[in-house]
Amino acid sequence: MPRTSAEDRLRRLLAVVPWVAAHDGPTVDEVCARFDLSEAELLADLDLLWLCGLYPYTPDVLVEVDIADGRVWIRYADFFRRPLRLTAAEGLALLSVGATLLAVPGADRDGPLARGLTKLASVLGVEPHETVEVELGPASADVLAKMHTGVAEHRQLEIDYYSFGRDDRTVRVIDPRRVFNAAGQWYVEGFCHRAGGNRLFRVDRVHRAALLESTFDPRDAPESGVSLYSPRSDDPVVTLELAPRASWVADHYPVEGVESGPDGGLRVTMRISEQAWLERLLLRLGPDAVVVEGDPDLARAVANRLLARYRLSDAATSNPGSTLASP
Amino acid sequence: MDRLERLINLMAALLEADRPLDRAELRRRVSGYEGEGEEVDDATFRRMFERDKDALRQMGVPLVIEPIDPQRPDSAEGYRIPRERYELPDPGLDPEELAALRLAASAVSVGEETGGTTTATAALWKLGGGVENPSAFLAALPGSEYLGLLFGAVAERRTVRFPYQGRTRTVDPWTLSCRAGKWYLSGFDRDRQDDRMFRLDRMDAAPEPFGPAGSFERPSSGGGPPPPPWLLGDEERLVAELLVDAGQAALAAAEAAVHGQVEHRPDGSVILRLPVTSRAGFRSFVFGFLDHAEVLGPPELRRDVVEWLNGLAS
Repeated sequence: MPRTSAEDRLRRLLAVVPWVAAHDGPTVDEVCARFDLSEAELLADLDLLWLCGLYPYTPDVLVEVDIADGRVWIRYADFFRRPLRLTAAEGLALLSVGATLLAVPGADRDGPLARGLTKLASVLGVEPHETVEVELGPASADVLAKMHTGVAEHRQLEIDYYSFGRDDRTVRVIDPRRVFNAAGQWYVEGFCHRAGGNRLFRVDRVHRAALLESTFDPRDAPESGVSLYSPRSDDPVVTLELAPRASWVADHYPVEGVESGPDGGLRVTMRISEQAWLERLLLRLGPDAVVVEGDPDLARAVANRLLARYRLSDAATSNPGSTLASP
Repeated sequence: MDRLERLINLMAALLEADRPLDRAELRRRVSGYEGEGEEVDDATFRRMFERDKDALRQMGVPLVIEPIDPQRPDSAEGYRIPRERYELPDPGLDPEELAALRLAASAVSVGEETGGTTTATAALWKLGGGVENPSAFLAALPGSEYLGLLFGAVAERRTVRFPYQGRTRTVDPWTLSCRAGKWYLSGFDRDRQDDRMFRLDRMDAAPEPFGPAGSFERPSSGGGPPPPPWLLGDEERLVAELLVDAGQAALAAAEAAVHGQVEHRPDGSVILRLPVTSRAGFRSFVFGFLDHAEVLGPPELRRDVVEWLNGLAS
């Protein structure tokens, strides 16, 4: 049995005692299942409980614990007749995990979860569904449902996928292994037959998904655990100098190295597998990032590509409001 | 004697007491403070008692200090746990509702809590546990050390103060929202006299609640999804017209539909009309489309994007 601190044991016991006392001899198994205890842990706690009570600790003011035929009774523990209130952190945790499931496309907004959250919100003194909000990012309920079916029934999917990194659309067949949401985006992880390896796909970039009749054997899974962004060792290395304002980049993306740079900024080294990804980052950071290792002309090239489009439409409409500088 | 046993006896004594108990009484009445056979000296007792008090408060036990004689505020002080503040009111969850909450707690993680007992699980114990349904992990929400504190302020309707981007903000907190992997607090900024949103990970220090509970009313139904990046600012509101090519149109429309209008054109492209209060947020959104999108207007926003690009191109 792992050693648990007195505080952790007390926290749980303060919930177990009122529940057992309010029920007529629940089974030891049920108590263990409800409160995530092993039988040995429960028995150790109960063993101690019957020594507890009030001054002067005569039998009439001690807690009574009985265990017989696999059932357990607790009596004379009236001081613990109700559990301790939820702390603010606990209230927040429950409302946010609940709000998350309700934010899944297709969730039953009038079902038991929604009803439970409404009741909980009222004991916490807040309006249900208004004080804690969770947005899981865009995903079509239809595509998501097909992904879930594919995972559950081990059926292959054909997807029309927009690769953000390469700025390119392709149709591919995947063996979907799991669907999950992280950092506010939906992902499906699976084996991609086009790439010949495990890949992560953003569900919102799937234009169309079709469940195929063909199945796959989930046990054939090559090593799993693709990270949200997994650089390959042969990806080109890029080093950026970031102004202090752009230092969030080092926290947001996997970087191979971070050093302090000039003027209180950072110098970060990253492996970039997809050029379009870096182009977007450079566009977004503008003057706050300088490529010091890698293609120094990338930002200029992509900016000119975008500007060409603006120039073209300015020319077409001979827009007098144009502010385009000559290159 | 087991420390757990002493803590239980201490809580029982404090919950049952009909008046505040002072330190000496607690020492005498709580089994565990007087050693069995061995003598507990004053310093040891004090240390044990301080540690126990901290442990209970950490757990959220309302351990109060009050004058022992309520008629005489200057009388000696003692300790008590007021039942009405200790006990969880019964929310009356039926087994199905409890099971649904339990499922949510196992499918969703908040912050870096892994293994062991998560905060949501400890909360569920208080509600009666609920029988576990096996469920696949589904979603990971980020954590923030300020979440519990801010939720407490939201629930109690207490104003908070915190340093943010070089200024101290004074805010009536209304809602905590999680979007795109970040937590935000929205509320009424008392200095600016307007609604504002603040990113929790950009608060420079822990928010400090001050003043009495119930010091403001939350607006009813501020509900709806939290705003996108281009609305997370306090600049003058402009309505942007953004043309997105056919290849990206469906994705763009899905993202923008909630907060703006979408006009579908015969060639498959779309024009999005989006209210914008953060130019930086808007630029990030626009640049996500690389050269498959173009800001058509208003002239200020088109100029802003073009000037930004000129800065990079030169």
